[in-house]
Amino acid sequence: MHLARETDLALSDWRAQALRFEREIGKVVLGQERVIRLLTIATFARGHVLLEGDVGVGKTTLLRAMARAIGGAFERIEGTIDLMPADLIYHAHLGEDGRPRIDPGPLLRQGEELAIFFFNEINRARPQVHSLLLRLMAERSVSAFNREYRFPHVQVFADRNRVEREETFELPAAARDRFLMEVQVAMPAQDEARRSLVFDPRFHDVDALLMEVEPGVLDPQALGTVARAIQIGVRTSPTLEAYTLALWAGVREPASLGIDIDGVDTARLVQGGASPRGVSYLVRAARVRAWLDGRDMVVPEDLRAVFPEVMAHRIFIDPIYELRRERIVSALIAGVFEKVQAP
Amino acid sequence: MRGLARLVLLLALLTSPAHAQLRGIDLYAPRPFGYVIGDVVTLTAEIALDAPFVLDPASLPAPRALDYWLDLRGVTLTDEGVADGVRRYTLDLVYQTFYAPLEPRRMSLPGLTLTAVAEGRRVPVEVPPWSFLMSPLREIVATGAGPAMALRPDIAPAPIPTGTTLRRLLAALAVALLAFLVLAWQMGWGPFGRRAARPFARAARAVPTSLGTTADPSPAAYGGALRALHRAFDATAGKGVFAEDLPDFFRAYPAFHAAEAEVRRLFNASRRAFFGGDMDGARRELPPEALVALSRRLRAVERGSA
Repeated sequence: MHLARETDLALSDWRAQALRFEREIGKVVLGQERVIRLLTIATFARGHVLLEGDVGVGKTTLLRAMARAIGGAFERIEGTIDLMPADLIYHAHLGEDGRPRIDPGPLLRQGEELAIFFFNEINRARPQVHSLLLRLMAERSVSAFNREYRFPHVQVFADRNRVEREETFELPAAARDRFLMEVQVAMPAQDEARRSLVFDPRFHDVDALLMEVEPGVLDPQALGTVARAIQIGVRTSPTLEAYTLALWAGVREPASLGIDIDGVDTARLVQGGASPRGVSYLVRAARVRAWLDGRDMVVPEDLRAVFPEVMAHRIFIDPIYELRRERIVSALIAGVFEKVQAP
Repeated sequence: MRGLARLVLLLALLTSPAHAQLRGIDLYAPRPFGYVIGDVVTLTAEIALDAPFVLDPASLPAPRALDYWLDLRGVTLTDEGVADGVRRYTLDLVYQTFYAPLEPRRMSLPGLTLTAVAEGRRVPVEVPPWSFLMSPLREIVATGAGPAMALRPDIAPAPIPTGTTLRRLLAALAVALLAFLVLAWQMGWGPFGRRAARPFARAARAVPTSLGTTADPSPAAYGGALRALHRAFDATAGKGVFAEDLPDFFRAYPAFHAAEAEVRRLFNASRRAFFGGDMDGARRELPPEALVALSRRLRAVERGSA
């Protein structure tokens, strides 16, 4: 029992730290409480996150603030159409002595210490880069210099803007499935936040702004242990398990629940997806949310809070509905939560 | 009294000591003339006795035919109780005469002898005879033509106007029925309890059914009762209501604010029961009786009578 008590105490200490982490980021990113909460959940679930949103809503600022607050080694790279996997791994240049040199690239430079890898504009990179990223996300390792490099603590953040479609490469389903969440970043809704962002000079200089974030609030080396302790410590009851399975079945077969979406034939809407990995990610994220809420049990609210971000990008729908995807999938998810009864 | 003739006999004035206990008999009789065959004559005698004496009911005459022309139809003795040491009785005698006189003729109703008893002593009580005049119904020899005495048709009854009353009665019944239906609708009685807008009425029925009659319902029964209430919340809000949604729920349905503390207890208990795996803790937090009470309270809130 002594051991369990100690774990509990450690977990509640970590919870206080997680809330402080949220506050630190909230100081510089206004009006994005929900996004910050989701990113915190992803951090403690050790999951990778894809951010999506308009240009200039603060995605990059948010991620830089996160990187600073988490602490540990941080690397970033910009996706371009001519970026190749080797550019991530190797850095080829001429040495001072005039001879060609090959050094480790951005991915390898920090070695095992790499805590955050931040991929900007991921959809501008080619599929070859995506597949390298796939391996990095799935196995936390890459091969280079004839050996395998491991990154036990790495967490990948990627962002893409959804406005431009030219000269971009859609992420393959397998790569998207590796992301724990796809988070939509919208403009802050409150007038007060908008006003501050535009008129307060504090927000004009991002570098100076980020200095306000206390660096290294979390210890990236310990996050893995904490994440495991959370997954063990927060329990799911048989009722909740049945509820989760019912949600899953509902997403895969919306017609069986009698969900009605305007202008959509629900019998043929969902073609696949909602993989077992996706649902296990869902439960993982729900456990972290329960822990952040100070509970030792998962309740349906936890599932509902993370469901759109964790599951929406894993649902594959009929191509004829693809153009209206966002609206249809969110209606589908809302419908499933309306029809599946809890408890 | 309706009697026109009044005979007062003060038998107590007689010297016989045996009559000392009879205070008096007042005989009230109707008019003594103008009777025809088949008429009914009612005599009423008021008898006053000294207190310990009572009339012996066995001495009352039985209704019967007294003569070929006279029937005693009814005898009713009413005890008026004791006042000032005097016990009073009212004796009603109903006679019917069938005598057919050819000309006016005096007929006589015979007297009666009753008996008063007290402490083994028996005293006779004399009700005096009474006479009256009877007349023929028709002349002996018919002077007019035709069968003058043929049976005549009955007098047609004069109808009492009831139309207005009947209409008012029907209108009142319709209003009463309508009022009852409105009340049933409002209270969610009978078939109205199942209408969609009354989920808590349904839950209030389902909760005791699920819990059963035992004092210690099984976890499944308790869980079923919790579920019934959750379904009512879901149906009221039109979507799943979780504990975190309660502030929104109370904003949307302010009437339920009155029961906010209990509702929060319900959601806490249900969280424990379903997701914390702590059914006993849930039952401690919200015992089955409290669950039934809460379901009734929510039903009352729903129909606006809380």
